[in-house]
Amino acid sequence: MKSFVFVHSTEKRMFSLLYGFYKWVLQKDEYFVVILGLDNAGKTTYLEQLKTKFTKGYKALAASKITTTVGLNIGKIDFAGVRINFWDLGGQEELQSLWDKYYAECHAVIYVIDASDRSRLEESKVVFDQMISSEHLSNVPLLILANKQDIPDSMGVREVKPVFVSAAERIGNRDCLVMPVCALNGEGVDEGAKWLVECIKRNSNNRPPRERED
Amino acid sequence: MGGLLSYFKGLFGSKEMRILILGLDGAGKTTILYRLVGEVVTTIPTIGFNVEQVTYKNLKFQVWDLGGQTSIRPYWRCYYSNTDAIIYVVDSADKDRIGISKGELVSMLEEEELKNAILVVLANKQDIEGALSVAEVHSALGLDALKTRTFQIFKTSALKGDGLNQAMEWLANALTNRK
Repeated sequence: MKSFVFVHSTEKRMFSLLYGFYKWVLQKDEYFVVILGLDNAGKTTYLEQLKTKFTKGYKALAASKITTTVGLNIGKIDFAGVRINFWDLGGQEELQSLWDKYYAECHAVIYVIDASDRSRLEESKVVFDQMISSEHLSNVPLLILANKQDIPDSMGVREVKPVFVSAAERIGNRDCLVMPVCALNGEGVDEGAKWLVECIKRNSNNRPPRERED
Repeated sequence: MGGLLSYFKGLFGSKEMRILILGLDGAGKTTILYRLVGEVVTTIPTIGFNVEQVTYKNLKFQVWDLGGQTSIRPYWRCYYSNTDAIIYVVDSADKDRIGISKGELVSMLEEEELKNAILVVLANKQDIEGALSVAEVHSALGLDALKTRTFQIFKTSALKGDGLNQAMEWLANALTNRK
């Protein structure tokens, strides 16, 4: 009788162990990142570059074929044991009113700036301020990208950063980084993404992941 | 091996893509279909369907335009399998029925067979004054609920032929790029 109980419980333990392993293998925490910024900042090109860097065998859409986004482009990458889904939204003024629909569900924001266009930096800042004021984005890590570094005389981090300093109060104590990138040739794309994924994981107490199974 | 095979397939003429044009009656689906073919037609309400082969930038499309009247909408689902993309046409000037249009779109996108289909929304009839803007169509159709599907909205006037080229261009790229 005693031995029966023993066998029984071992089997049970074995099963739960195997089942736990099975779940561990198949289950990945899933996070969502929204990519925002003015139109023509390079959001879609950046997303294509992300997909290329993190997806084996992915062939990016040629930059010349990328048109103005009016809608949604999605991308997902598996990295550092988690799955990250990206939402790339249209940046035109009219479409900015649709951004907040994605705030509550996202785990991070990537804000892209066209660093070669000094004339629109102020506009970008105003839009940024409005975005960051949303209560639905509280605690969300933030990656600000000074894009188009390949263009001569584009603004570096040193020039872009001060513009956003006035928003420091609203940014608060969340993780925030301003980085130079070139979405066109991919420079700086993976560093930024890696940093963001670490922040997202660290922030998972505030914004827990969505669990999924394949 | 499979990769090699598909590589050669890509070289020697690609597979015909299957596209459905859907939307309420009177949205302009048939006019759009024949615009894509390159004809300008006067249409009558479609009972049943029209189907045409369209070639755009070396891509072959088989485009189905299904009748949009209430009584025949339930039959749309018979055409869902193997669909690569959906062109959903909205009459942007018909504010009264956009809610109905949303309902049809939502229930259509819940279908398992359309899980991987790319969505193009055409905010049609932009030639009419007071037509809904892109953002208004986006909100009215509840497109913010779509979080796992690539989609794009285009302003079109099928009557004038505006906007269709951009839409097809985007769709062709999205279909080629899809994995």
